[in-house]
Amino acid sequence: MTLAAATPLPSDRREKGHLAAASALLTPATAVVAVMLVAPLLLLLRMSFNRFDPTKLMVEAATAENYTRFFGDAYYTDVMITTVVVALSSTAFCLLFGFPIAYRLARWQSRWKNAVMLLMVLPLFVSSTVRSIGWMVLFSHGGVINLAATSLGLGTMTLMQTTTGVIIGIISINLPYMILTLQSVVEGIDENLEQAAESLGAAPARAFWRIVWPMALPGTMIAAVLCFILAMNAFATPVLIGGPRFHMMAPLLYWEFTANNNWPFASALALILMTTTLVMTVLANKLILGRQARA
Amino acid sequence: MSDTAPSASSLGLTEKLEWLARPGATALVVSGLITVFAPLILTVYVSFFDDKVIVFPPQGYSLAWYGSSIPQFISPLLTSLKLALLAGGLSLLFGVPAGIALSRYRNRGTQGIGTLLLAPLTIPGIAIGLAIYVFAITVELRTELPLAGSMALLVLAHVLITIPWVIRICLASLTNHDRVTEEAAASLGASPPRVIWRVTLPAMRNGIVASGFFAFIISFENLEISLFLVSPGMSTLPIAILQYLEYRLDPLIAAISVLQIVGIGAILFALGNFANLGRVAR
Repeated sequence: MTLAAATPLPSDRREKGHLAAASALLTPATAVVAVMLVAPLLLLLRMSFNRFDPTKLMVEAATAENYTRFFGDAYYTDVMITTVVVALSSTAFCLLFGFPIAYRLARWQSRWKNAVMLLMVLPLFVSSTVRSIGWMVLFSHGGVINLAATSLGLGTMTLMQTTTGVIIGIISINLPYMILTLQSVVEGIDENLEQAAESLGAAPARAFWRIVWPMALPGTMIAAVLCFILAMNAFATPVLIGGPRFHMMAPLLYWEFTANNNWPFASALALILMTTTLVMTVLANKLILGRQARA
Repeated sequence: MSDTAPSASSLGLTEKLEWLARPGATALVVSGLITVFAPLILTVYVSFFDDKVIVFPPQGYSLAWYGSSIPQFISPLLTSLKLALLAGGLSLLFGVPAGIALSRYRNRGTQGIGTLLLAPLTIPGIAIGLAIYVFAITVELRTELPLAGSMALLVLAHVLITIPWVIRICLASLTNHDRVTEEAAASLGASPPRVIWRVTLPAMRNGIVASGFFAFIISFENLEISLFLVSPGMSTLPIAILQYLEYRLDPLIAAISVLQIVGIGAILFALGNFANLGRVAR
């Protein structure tokens, strides 16, 4: 009895060693994130309650006027509505195109599969600036689509500086994320389950909707939320395809910062964008996955 | 028998739907692939146009833009390369130990830190850029350290956004790692740092190589954060391309973009041997 109390338990000593080792290994990275992300974001939150002054630029204050200005002015709420509409519709199209591609890719067996996977990964690592160039060539006034439309007698047709053009550009950028995430989701579903359903008399479509889709839903939600977040934060595509008169939240924030020097309002915009995105993703998860859990 | 009759007729209907669904799904697959790849292919095509103004059909083809694109963008290109090398190297230095710790010690505390370390992935780049700039100016006013617009701050900001990638890839490369070899080394008298150096790090070599290259690419391609942190007169390649495109669209900008795509493609192709790319990108 006394022996056990006198010598510390080996597992206890090991715990302490683990704690020391874990903190030694984790501290450098955590310090970078604390100094470069947590502290700056907290400052941004504080700054969003400051007051903007045209001559002195920023005055220390504790006012909610940057937030009331945003929600009270139809110009700004319209920018938020445009951003949400673009994000939701591009995500819907990513799902529509992404699921069949991911499904076929997952069930495909070929020695070319690795090469095709590489082709899918490549666009993810090419900047959105570069990936907008092709659309600018297609959409512009002397561009391919306009030429085709005029030669077919459909009149002029330009997608530059339109919401449709921006949505297409964002689908193009986000679709590979959707495909790669869904492909792994479908690969995780045993193909035998579908075959079993079919051998029991279910048509392939029925087997898909009753077996594959419910199992794929949680992973599909993760992919959709990722696409939605990326679209909410899009910067280069709305600037390049949308042009100076098309407004989404990220370009608006940058413009308030550079052109108007209004740091307090830009800070409020950043926080409104982050909060809206967070609230919408949490709500979507609750609604869709919650319903599935009850079913 | 009475059971099979209704199910046979319903099967007829679903078969009809099936007959319609297959070409429908194929149409979706084709449209999706066009949406992803058409702009890239078109950029490659336009980069070979002879004329400075893009007109269809082109007057002729030439490779001249490739020759003139690099000298035109040499300064932002070198800045981006330097930045990406420094950021990639540093994020390995910070991220690999964190990846080892997160895979070894799983409890509530490390899980919380893991979430924090991956947070830069989900916060908008434009908000991170603004926050770091504002923070740097505030610190600068108090301490008179020349932070805003410095290369050091830009590198640290890029380290912040590349650390999550390094950690994710390191965690993936350690999932099948057997801790028994580490325990054997420790029981034979190796000190903990020596165990990491001689056993853990060699085991995750492929993951480290892959995450270094991914950090390099993520930093090289970053636009939003760099926009806030470059000093006047300094530019990275994505910023230079954005500013050029706001005024002009010509084969020159297509050529520098194609060179960039080819460079990244070559790195990814080489990395295909080191990591499961599809898994890493998710």
